[in-house]
Amino acid sequence: MREVMITGIGSTPFGRLEGRSVQSLAVEAANMALARSGIDRSEIGALYLGNFVAGPLSGQEVLAGMVCDELGLAGIPCTKVEGACASGGIAFRHAVMAVRSGACEAAVVVGTEKMTHASGGQVTQALNCAMDNRSDGPSGLTFPGLFGLAWRVHAERYGTTRDDVSAVVVKNKRNGLKNPLAQMGAELSPDVIRQSLPIADPIQLYDCCPVSDGAAALVIVAADRAKAAPDLPIRIRAAVQTSGPARISGHEDLCSFRTTRLAAERAFKEARISPADLDLAELHDCFSMAEIIHTEDLGLVPRGQGAKWAAEGRTAVDGDIAVNASGGLLSKGHPVGATGVGQIFEVVRQLRGEHGNQVSGARLGLTQNVGGAGVACTVSILERGDA
Amino acid sequence: MSPGSASAVQVDVMRCSQCGTLDPGPRDLCAKCHAGLAPAKVAGEGSLVSWTMIRRPPASFKEDGAYAVAIVRLDAGVQVTGRLAEPDEAAKPGMRVVATGQHRETTVFSLVR
Repeated sequence: MREVMITGIGSTPFGRLEGRSVQSLAVEAANMALARSGIDRSEIGALYLGNFVAGPLSGQEVLAGMVCDELGLAGIPCTKVEGACASGGIAFRHAVMAVRSGACEAAVVVGTEKMTHASGGQVTQALNCAMDNRSDGPSGLTFPGLFGLAWRVHAERYGTTRDDVSAVVVKNKRNGLKNPLAQMGAELSPDVIRQSLPIADPIQLYDCCPVSDGAAALVIVAADRAKAAPDLPIRIRAAVQTSGPARISGHEDLCSFRTTRLAAERAFKEARISPADLDLAELHDCFSMAEIIHTEDLGLVPRGQGAKWAAEGRTAVDGDIAVNASGGLLSKGHPVGATGVGQIFEVVRQLRGEHGNQVSGARLGLTQNVGGAGVACTVSILERGDA
Repeated sequence: MSPGSASAVQVDVMRCSQCGTLDPGPRDLCAKCHAGLAPAKVAGEGSLVSWTMIRRPPASFKEDGAYAVAIVRLDAGVQVTGRLAEPDEAAKPGMRVVATGQHRETTVFSLVR
């Protein structure tokens, strides 16, 4: 299959974006990406839109068609994809496949979400649609609860402490201070984290990503069409999507997601690199404990060492591998359907050397986007186009 | 009834009509051989895999206040998600639990102290 590149990128800030609609956010980000793509709108052959909760929270579906129409892309196949919080990553992979296969020369991918206008209970209820509501839902389990369950096992097995986990929070909140798109960068002490509101023991308030609005977009083009783009094109070395059980009983271990392990294995094989070759990773830290588990599942750190590596600064911007230099979901925010696209946006800026929290000499970056209790995962590997 | 003397009630699960594999259900097909599953009951005795105290419930569970959700590995060989009655910080993965009843559509477990 032919080589494909990312040319244009666009993003709204992530955060509380009052008075904006879920469509308007998508249009803003995609219009920005199209303007920097080096491709005429008439040559865009497909649009994939990632969104998860516009139905329950905004009462609006058919977003892909509405966004296409407003962008002046009417008539092309436009598809909304849903895979809970992995919706954006899945949209990306579908756009990559469309261009790789030769079905079209260029495709738009956009992820969008509007959440902050709803109450906390409504948001929790909507996000719980990503659970297996036959087997796990009736217990009243929530997603913070899922990672509270994982935390207790991790603590029992590896001796992980509250302060070990806090190292992830401190790092990501600090990284967010250098990202102008981030919702809540902060300088936090372990004491402040320890005293924060309990949410789903042992998960506390600062262990959780905020509720966010936002959209991000990318234009994917065949490599031979990337030359006209004004910015450095970014090569897509791997775009992998996997599936797994939605229900907890399908997991052999609460501290590991089979979907992530499988996606990582396939992505490293597709890109013909190993984890040690990576300069940075943007991964799905919806909760502090999630980053710990994902770094281990992706093979970025040894099993059981996710929190300790953060505490030792080995996942900091100047560490062995920079994890969530953008601030991650914890700090940048988590507009669920936009997150996977936003992660790729961040890695593109890093590989171009233009990030506010720049990883020195970044050439290879990975993104990991997870849906539900590991029901879906995407792992993508990106490289500077001049490498 | 004191927790120490809690007697186990049976837990509703499913069993594969072909290979006998247990499944927490509800589900149509066996995860192992893809034959049909039928309702079954197993002994409500097992060990705690993990638990968490939900303090911010979804809207439909608001009236429950704070409650503990538990993952339990039943001795019969199937893992279920339920509630843990009277949890305290001493509750650790691996501890023995028994099913003591039902809350709405979910099984309630108690620690064997």
